[in-house]
Amino acid sequence: MPFAEFWTWLEGLPLAEHIGFTWWFPFLESIHVLAIAFLVGSILMVDLRLLGLAALSYAASRVTRELIPWTWGAFSVAVVTGAGMFMTRAATYIEHPPFQVKLVLLLLAGVNMALFQFRTFRDIEAWDNAAGTPVAARVAGATSLLLWAGVVLAGRWIGHTI
Amino acid sequence: MRESLARALTESQAREAAVYLLGNVPGLPPIAQSLHILGIAVVMASIVMVDLKFLGLAVPSQNVSEMIHRLMPWTWWALLLNAVTGLLFVVARPNRYFFNPVVGWKFSMLVPAVALAFVVHRLSTREAGYWERSSGRRLSARVIAAVSLVLWIGVVLAGRWIAYSDYLFFYE
Repeated sequence: MPFAEFWTWLEGLPLAEHIGFTWWFPFLESIHVLAIAFLVGSILMVDLRLLGLAALSYAASRVTRELIPWTWGAFSVAVVTGAGMFMTRAATYIEHPPFQVKLVLLLLAGVNMALFQFRTFRDIEAWDNAAGTPVAARVAGATSLLLWAGVVLAGRWIGHTI
Repeated sequence: MRESLARALTESQAREAAVYLLGNVPGLPPIAQSLHILGIAVVMASIVMVDLKFLGLAVPSQNVSEMIHRLMPWTWWALLLNAVTGLLFVVARPNRYFFNPVVGWKFSMLVPAVALAFVVHRLSTREAGYWERSSGRRLSARVIAAVSLVLWIGVVLAGRWIAYSDYLFFYE
């Protein structure tokens, strides 16, 4: 595994040991679940709009712009709390297949979001208030939903296998 | 009553079935828990989003009555999903949940949270625009929203801590 020494060094930090041996770990984990639930909830609202299944009385661009800041806020909390848990056993997690799957799914969700942002969102004015949404938007919404459900499942899988 | 219910469940065939399913269907425990988390995500995207709207914090361009009408059915379906996925674990190990103080905390927050959600939905269904009609009602809506928000956060945190309760009380 690349950076093997780095992961071991991370585990040895006083902060990592403090998290691993006190109530901090369950505390971080409960905040992590709360953040992920909120993150997935806000994404679900955006994705259903992109799929043309909900909130059609509001412009897609407004729905997206008003919800994405919440998504990013929750994502930041999930990353910080996740990193706190990760560092307690960094070398183990980094080699653990469900953890690797979770990271790949997160990366794919990011790519999907960037593609949508820089391609489909550009001509959003053409379909912002339309009764339906274009195929590209629907594909982005469906892909996002599947990837995030996968992230949740992979995350829970880590808890059962590590 | 709690003792007799726990005993009845422990001796029931439902428990045998739940234990069998959790132990023999590949991946069922994490899958059921993931569905439970996705159910919570729907609660966040429905009643919690309505709470944030009442408090003037989220989705400024959306209309709150329309939101309640559109989103609250999702809350009830999500709670049904979570009752089913949650009960699977409770039925499999009744003693672990029935005599766990954290479960008590979770439900003493869940019950009022559900009651408030019901009131918000019910009054708005009976009279469209109910929560926007007067300044008194707008104020009540904000108070209800603040309490509801705190309760739902507490429910999720307590839910995660159920699994840690042994650890929690050993350290007392």
